[in-house]
Amino acid sequence: MVAIEFDETWEEKFLERYANDGPWDNWEIAQLALESEQELAIPDFDGLQAPKHLPHLHILPHQLKTAQQVVENMHGKAILADEVGLGKTIEAGLILKEYMIRGLVKKALILVPASLVIQWVNELNEKFYIPAVAQKKAYMWTQYDVIVSSLDTAKRKPHSDIIFSQNWDFIIIDEAHKLKNRKTKNYAFVQQLKKRFCLLLTATPIQNKLEEIFNLVSLLKPGYLGNIDEFHQEFNSKKRKPEDDAKLKTLIQNVMIRNRRQETDLDWPTRHVKNIFIPFSKAEKQIYEKISKAKKNNLLSEHPLSLLTLQREICSSREALFFTLKKMIEQEKTSEQTKQFAAELIHDLQSIKEHAKAKKLVELIKEINSKVLVFTEYRATQLYLQWYLKQHGITSVPFQGGFRRSKKDWMTQLFKNHAQVLIATEAGGEGINLQFCQHVVNYDLPWNPMRIEQRIGRIHRIGQEKDVHIYNFTIENTIEEHILKLLYEKIQLFETTIGKLDEILAKLELTNLEDYVQNIFHESESDGEIKIKLDNLTELINFQLRLQKEEEKHAAT
Amino acid sequence: MQQHEIQRYLERFFAANQCEILRNEDGLLQTKLTVDLDKRLMNRPFYWHYIEKTGGIPETMTLTFKTKKNDKEPGEFIHVGSPRLHQIFQTAKKMASFLRLYEQIENKNTEYVPLVPWLVLNMKISYICDLKKDVLHSFALQLITGQMCTNAIERLKTVKLSPKLPDFTFPLTPLIQPKSGLRRIKNYIYDMLEKENDDWAEQAIERWNKDLALLERFYENKEKNEAYYNEKEALRRQYEPKIKIEIINGGIVYLGKHFSFA
Repeated sequence: MVAIEFDETWEEKFLERYANDGPWDNWEIAQLALESEQELAIPDFDGLQAPKHLPHLHILPHQLKTAQQVVENMHGKAILADEVGLGKTIEAGLILKEYMIRGLVKKALILVPASLVIQWVNELNEKFYIPAVAQKKAYMWTQYDVIVSSLDTAKRKPHSDIIFSQNWDFIIIDEAHKLKNRKTKNYAFVQQLKKRFCLLLTATPIQNKLEEIFNLVSLLKPGYLGNIDEFHQEFNSKKRKPEDDAKLKTLIQNVMIRNRRQETDLDWPTRHVKNIFIPFSKAEKQIYEKISKAKKNNLLSEHPLSLLTLQREICSSREALFFTLKKMIEQEKTSEQTKQFAAELIHDLQSIKEHAKAKKLVELIKEINSKVLVFTEYRATQLYLQWYLKQHGITSVPFQGGFRRSKKDWMTQLFKNHAQVLIATEAGGEGINLQFCQHVVNYDLPWNPMRIEQRIGRIHRIGQEKDVHIYNFTIENTIEEHILKLLYEKIQLFETTIGKLDEILAKLELTNLEDYVQNIFHESESDGEIKIKLDNLTELINFQLRLQKEEEKHAAT
Repeated sequence: MQQHEIQRYLERFFAANQCEILRNEDGLLQTKLTVDLDKRLMNRPFYWHYIEKTGGIPETMTLTFKTKKNDKEPGEFIHVGSPRLHQIFQTAKKMASFLRLYEQIENKNTEYVPLVPWLVLNMKISYICDLKKDVLHSFALQLITGQMCTNAIERLKTVKLSPKLPDFTFPLTPLIQPKSGLRRIKNYIYDMLEKENDDWAEQAIERWNKDLALLERFYENKEKNEAYYNEKEALRRQYEPKIKIEIINGGIVYLGKHFSFA
């Protein structure tokens, strides 16, 4: 027999009034109260109530399906791992709202990166009418029901003790890939939380190792994938068979939802990709060749990967290279021979007037004659471009990952309303939506393909109504061209396959593609060798892609 | 509730609270609050504190609600999910819990006729596990004979009730005390619940046990630390089935002796 809790408060008060002959309440208002209770009553265990409460919110079919699946089939514990730009926040808000409407959740804790706290508070309040507050003082943990904080604050004392002492009905952790390593403080903290329902949000559930997914799942449902030894034995060993992969996939599908662009019914704007090959100026070419020669002569052996870095930097800007050289000279461990080489290069740099790419960029921006988002890997290049564009009468604003949230918002606003160009370095993207812009320039290419997707995801996302144009700048006959032609083009990185890439890399146990590619360039004796090794790599990735496609086709029929 | 039903609801709510309705048009309702409702709805304790301290003349607020989208008129757009409507729902519930009502029977004779006391309870039964369902019930128990009726509220809505005892009637004194009446209704509910299908609860327990087994496996050969006990408790809170019963409102209703709930 199920336990029954009968609320006695009405009875006590009623008998008191009966004894005192009143006071008595209004019949019409009592009837109204019954009508609203009828309205608020949850008619069925299944189904969603939240959409009815959010008539102004445009909920997309995949978001609705996700929320329903989490509530009905996953019992409120799930990893939401949609690709970037599909609206994980909306899904999480919808699920939280559903539980609040059902009266199953009162106290909710939302842990997000510090830069996103205000955005979460605003979205929950404005889009979902959930009275969330940003945690500012220690007393707020107990005084407010729905509280948003950064994981970094929450895990520190005295906050952590107060948080541990409370029973949370609902916990959301955004950017949950920060919990992939179970030996970290973050992990131990989240593991200790008392969580009735819990959502982990991440666009990249697996970045490097299969073990990461084990760790995430074990936070939600300890034991679901066995313990770590069993997991390694069954899924992570060299002897594993394709059936094991399929089994793991099925298991994970019960705790993780991953919507992909291609699978959503949305009409995604088309991506137009244009690779622009630019020749070096004479002076730049000489410097590049000097570095290549140094590599062959085994110069700079104390900085094994530096020569590669120097080559990449001269493909970006004089300034980027200059900063690294200066740092090298200042470092104690640098040999005299290297210092001399670096000084020589710095001297040579003076002969460069303007960078070939920068010149091309001005041309392109004038041609586009609309908002342009420019990504570069280097802070020095960012500064240079700002200056250079200004010389040519083009307004631009900078954007970096390190900016505070308010500054990010401010820069986004400036870009939207006043400037033609936003120049961003890596990591500039988290939580920033730039749907009003349709042109992205990859001024230089990162060696981690996942980062490219994040770049493009800034504008190629829900809310983008027009086609998106992607321009890849590449200096001819350099490592840039190799990377683009031998790797990215072959795996069709810029077109469609990217969303699946993270899984494939994990499956292939290519734990860190960036290091892997760097090593190919570093250790190969000739361009021919580089080409063969990269060919092997792309073959492997494409093979896995084809395999996956067939599997899906199979599963669909 | 449809938008027009919301408008009708608001109109009745403010009228029942003696608020003046300034405008009542298609998709728009404007009302001037009374002091009582201003205090309940507008959340401005400092203003009221100030007025009371200084003895100033209070100016209550005027609210404009829009039940149809309309950019020309200022006012709050109100719908099933809007916090304002939920606040009003809560206020209505808080304001009207305890009732004593008399059927307004027309008695043309000068002979006094008796009115029969009924205990009426309107309640919400919630079935809770990791999911939830609510069912509203309305019971009436005659406090003379002990006759029990369900769906009472639907029938009560069709007669004229008022807090005033009509002329030439007199209320009969209950033979069954309200306290024991309450107990009888409670027993009736417990009986009813026991006979109900509880597959939902069994399924929840099944899910619970499944997750418990996984947890045990995870900590097999490992020290059972705080995280283990936290998780175990969290699973209980996630799945444990229970039934909660809350009385929304109710009271004593005196009805004519020929009244029947059937």
